[in-house]
Amino acid sequence: MKFAVTLGNVGRTIECRADQTILSAAVGAGIDYPYACASGNCATCISDLKAGDVDLLPYGDGALSAQLRSQGKTLACRARPRSDVEIVWLGRPRA
Amino acid sequence: MNADDRALARQAACQALLREARAIEAAHGITPAGMDRMRQLVIGLAQQGDTLFPDADFAPPQAYGRNHLLDDTTDAQFALYLTVTLPGKESTPHDHGIWCVNAGLSGSELQRFYRRTDDGSRPGFGTVEEIDRAVVSSGTAIAMANHDIHATLTTGDRPSRSLALYGYALNRFPEVTFFLPEFGTVRTLPSRRPLVRA
Repeated sequence: MKFAVTLGNVGRTIECRADQTILSAAVGAGIDYPYACASGNCATCISDLKAGDVDLLPYGDGALSAQLRSQGKTLACRARPRSDVEIVWLGRPRA
Repeated sequence: MNADDRALARQAACQALLREARAIEAAHGITPAGMDRMRQLVIGLAQQGDTLFPDADFAPPQAYGRNHLLDDTTDAQFALYLTVTLPGKESTPHDHGIWCVNAGLSGSELQRFYRRTDDGSRPGFGTVEEIDRAVVSSGTAIAMANHDIHATLTTGDRPSRSLALYGYALNRFPEVTFFLPEFGTVRTLPSRRPLVRA
């Protein structure tokens, strides 16, 4: 199953498999999404989930607090879509 | 031992460990012999198990992983943590720049070790290959030198709890370099220095 993921920062919509993270799909599509650890520990890829649902692979407390998650923040490296999604990254791409 | 007495005993034991770690580094440096002594030192403290480090004294993660600072030196050159991670918690291969020792209390964590296989000439890109692996559980420990590359995965069906001794406090790491095999890329997380003490 695939979902449409719209990346607000660059105004592009890409396909993301249900078993794929949004970061993986974005990098695979040639998008310079900000990331570092890609395993839910550093929060470089922290993003605003503007619309849609995701589930999250395991991540560390220091990367995404329960409070931030309740405010709609997510980690692109851990987030797998469960619907079509609109997302905006909050960090800066690599210089 | 009640909770207050245990906290005092734990603090004394952790402070003693940090003093000994500093003495080992001064005497042996970050050499294989020095790191083996560090490893034995942390295993020794971990063998205190529930006497000093019961579950009740350390909150579980809100998500999947939490580091509890046990103690550090005033210059933050040595720091000891109790780390709790839940099954499935992982890290990609990374070089955190500074040596560390990780000794198991309970549960199990798979440690994979890597070497870089490219020449680093292409900024942002890099490759690694696995060269060794070990499981950290009660009674076992791993020691890594500065710039060793490793990845972790909490395995089994219960939380992994371990003691982690670093050559810097976590918020003083020089920088952390992540190798992403899926993308063939390298990304560096800048240091979060300077440490600000209350």
